[in-house]
Amino acid sequence: VTGALGQLTIGRWMAIIIACALAAVFPLVYTDPYYMTIIVTAEVILILNISWNFVLGMAGVWNFGQLAIYALGAYGAGWLMLHETWIPTMVAIALGGVFAAVISVLLAFPTLRLFGIYTSLLTFSFAQVVQYVALNNPKNLTGGSYGFPTVPGVFSTASQESYLRAYYWLFAVVIVVACFFVAWLQQSHLGIALRSVRDAPGYTAARGVNPRSVRVVAFGLSGFLAGVAGGFYLAFEQSFTTSQMGLTPMSIYVTMLVIGGLGTVFGPLIGTAIVTVIQTILIDYPGWQLTILGATLLVIVIFVPGGIVGLISRINSRLTSWVAEGNRQSG
Amino acid sequence: MTDIVAIIVSGLVYGSIYGLVAIGMTLIYGTLRILDMSQGSMVVIGGYVGWWALTENGFNPIVALVLAFAAAFVVGTGSELISVQPLLKRRHEVDFEMVTFITTFAVGIMITNISLQHFGPEQRDVPSIIGGNLEIYHGVSITYHEIAMAVTSVILMAALGLFLARTRWGFAIRAVAQDLTAARSLGVPVNRLYPMTMGLASALAGVGGVFLGALYFASPTAGDLPLLQALIVVVLGGLGSLTGTLYAAYLVGLMQAFCEVKIGTTWTLPILYTAILIILIIRPYGLKGSPTEARL
Repeated sequence: VTGALGQLTIGRWMAIIIACALAAVFPLVYTDPYYMTIIVTAEVILILNISWNFVLGMAGVWNFGQLAIYALGAYGAGWLMLHETWIPTMVAIALGGVFAAVISVLLAFPTLRLFGIYTSLLTFSFAQVVQYVALNNPKNLTGGSYGFPTVPGVFSTASQESYLRAYYWLFAVVIVVACFFVAWLQQSHLGIALRSVRDAPGYTAARGVNPRSVRVVAFGLSGFLAGVAGGFYLAFEQSFTTSQMGLTPMSIYVTMLVIGGLGTVFGPLIGTAIVTVIQTILIDYPGWQLTILGATLLVIVIFVPGGIVGLISRINSRLTSWVAEGNRQSG
Repeated sequence: MTDIVAIIVSGLVYGSIYGLVAIGMTLIYGTLRILDMSQGSMVVIGGYVGWWALTENGFNPIVALVLAFAAAFVVGTGSELISVQPLLKRRHEVDFEMVTFITTFAVGIMITNISLQHFGPEQRDVPSIIGGNLEIYHGVSITYHEIAMAVTSVILMAALGLFLARTRWGFAIRAVAQDLTAARSLGVPVNRLYPMTMGLASALAGVGGVFLGALYFASPTAGDLPLLQALIVVVLGGLGSLTGTLYAAYLVGLMQAFCEVKIGTTWTLPILYTAILIILIIRPYGLKGSPTEARL
């Protein structure tokens, strides 16, 4: 077993379990509604980032249409919540994810015909089309710039404190499951195929792996998770506006992924946490907020390729070899 | 008939200004293999320079255009120095196109938000370069500002063409576009050429910003729409092909004018993007683009 799962020694398992346990009891201790709202929103964005990181970092397809897929998941789930009220909300969110996955697969076919920068331009164009169509509110489906009509969400009857807590736990479970799923996927046949298609497309194709079909599967999986994230956002905020898929959120999420480390399991986690903290500190200075994020993005891309996770693993391997050297000399 | 004249006239006007903003992106991509996402913020800078020179100080419009050219040239050069130059040494270790796409995007975010911090979110009026308008055909009229915009764009694009075809620096830029290593071994100062090319392209977008500022406003987000439209144009034309960009600019201008007259403004961009989607599916390298390297 290789990849992130293979590196899990007993100590690391313990660390993960302790971290999960701490995260689980956190809302019992900490109840400030302002910061809890920020944290729960960050959880939704983290789910979106995990899905995006999968196609952007691991599959290596420069897909900038993920926010449109996310929004389509939200609109799909929202439509079911409003018009087919007999469907349980969680099922509606899952169906929204399926809808997003279908669109994502359909987007994959023209996208995978292109290479490099054209891929990002095509997917970016797709996102713009979706945003403009949603903004123009065809047949009153999206609510336009006023936002999606209010939906009940999952825990609407609970008090504010338990409402936030319930969403916190729900999203935390989804995040943990998604992280383990991605870590498992990384060392599965599909993950290995994806990485080798990314790094050596010609060789991989010559070895009998169809580059297009593995990437289409990646688009589908990633689209499902993104759509579910959209449904979660809608259920939690009880609304969804088109500004959620604008240029500004896109640049923030890209910053999160790059800072954390593209293509790694923990990258989105670390990146989302750091950027959310920076944003919360600078909440009163909106101009500085994005200026500093832009500068951080620039510095990380130029000086720390691989992001923070890459930096940590480099320091770690240097330390290990340094310790090994010491052992050799003393022994 | 009136509709047709209106479509052609405004199509040519739009096409010229798109060409001016997009030709810079093509020039940069053709020579440096960088899709410069900070071009939109050069339009913002041009708009603010126009506002400062024309509204605040009442300068001559030509002075305003020259100032915008100079300011955007300086900022564009600076943008190259911080977002591309540090990566040049490692250009074979990283996915250069993608990484510079992100770094120039980051510079764009920074410029947009610094101007938001400095000037605030409100829109600033930029006066027309020349007032008045000209009636061409029954009820179809065009402002002198739009004529000036189209003529200036065409002159600048022609000047760029002459610069590339006739001058020493133009030769050097084309040499780099064809073969970076060979150009360097023949003594082309690549490390100075990169900032200069990006400054030049930015300067063209800056001049476009003054004209666009009078059509819309100068504001921190004034560059978003021109950037998106320039992206459509360069993709449609085939990245790196200057002639392709020109065709595409006028094609997109005419398409936009047609949509606005016949269908309605709200559907213009979705229709343009759908056209792009279809064209890219049929011709993955744009109208004039080819999968080979140098194309300038």
